[in-house]
Amino acid sequence: MKKVSTEWNELLLDYLDGSLSGDKIQQLKQELASSAELRARLEELKVLTEQFKQVTLEHPSKNFTQRVMEKLHDYPVRSSVSVRNSIWLLAGVLVAIGLGSFLLATGIFDTPGSINLNQFGLDNKIIQQQLPTISFNGKLIVNIIIILNIALAFLVLDRAILRPWFERRTHMNIDRA
Amino acid sequence: MTDPEFLLIDRIVAGNQQAYAELVDRYKSYAYTLALKILENRPEAEEAAQDAFIKAFHHLKNFNKDSKFSTWLYRIVFNTAVSYKRKRKVAFQNIENTIIEYNQEAEGMLERQDRRKFLNQAISHLNEADKLAITLFYLQEFSLEEIATITGMQANTVKVRIHRARQRLADELASVLKKEALTL
Repeated sequence: MKKVSTEWNELLLDYLDGSLSGDKIQQLKQELASSAELRARLEELKVLTEQFKQVTLEHPSKNFTQRVMEKLHDYPVRSSVSVRNSIWLLAGVLVAIGLGSFLLATGIFDTPGSINLNQFGLDNKIIQQQLPTISFNGKLIVNIIIILNIALAFLVLDRAILRPWFERRTHMNIDRA
Repeated sequence: MTDPEFLLIDRIVAGNQQAYAELVDRYKSYAYTLALKILENRPEAEEAAQDAFIKAFHHLKNFNKDSKFSTWLYRIVFNTAVSYKRKRKVAFQNIENTIIEYNQEAEGMLERQDRRKFLNQAISHLNEADKLAITLFYLQEFSLEEIATITGMQANTVKVRIHRARQRLADELASVLKKEALTL
């Protein structure tokens, strides 16, 4: 038997779902009258639809609601970063702070540095004038990096370690009460 | 007009936790049925549904009331059930790549009950999103847009997938019926 095309299958399903417009229904009925394959397919889809319509609602155990209400405060406060990863992140940040502070203390960054852009040997045809020398204060940059790391360390400590810990403790107290 | 359900949600968010039991009672059967369709294991489905309700409670203040509460809740149920299934490390199969094996009973007369059994077997081979989409489509007559929100797909994609899955299931059912006819 010839296989019914996807387009006709979709029309048949829309027809069974009741979502087919009047014109299309007429078109389908005409085609059904002349095509045994289409009629057979409609029957197959009807059987399937009837089976699906018998899908019934399942019911959970009688104490389902009670269990949910009892467990409401067991919900673990999840951070987007796991505690283990947070500890690693915190350790890394502390190491960076320590290293920066140590280098600062040795005085490596005490003398201001500079970058002469002419030393890179850029093509004179493109840039015909003398490039400036950029001076920078290494000590200031390292200090800024250390301050940013301290801020990040406090943030990680608060969001990923302290806050979940206090919230868990609060929930335990509520449950005891 | 304000939806009475939204007023109930406001009460819960304001601190009346006991009012949440009313919401759980209202939606527990649907939540459980959806979880069961995905997990095919009653104790696990019950646990997943409970877990979903607990998650929903803790995120209730983030529910923005743009959609129905049920749509929002069923999305949580769907995600929770799928994550339970992933934990079980069961390989997902798509019906496109699946050969459905008929059991011994299908060799005999395919009565209504047998057809149902076969259909459940065939549905179990669908992927989670298709399975849930079909269940929602027939269970509560959700709109395609709502099913799309719950399953995280586009409405058009949902329609195509439901149609395609039903066509394949009909093909499978037809081949079983033909086998039956030949044995008569």
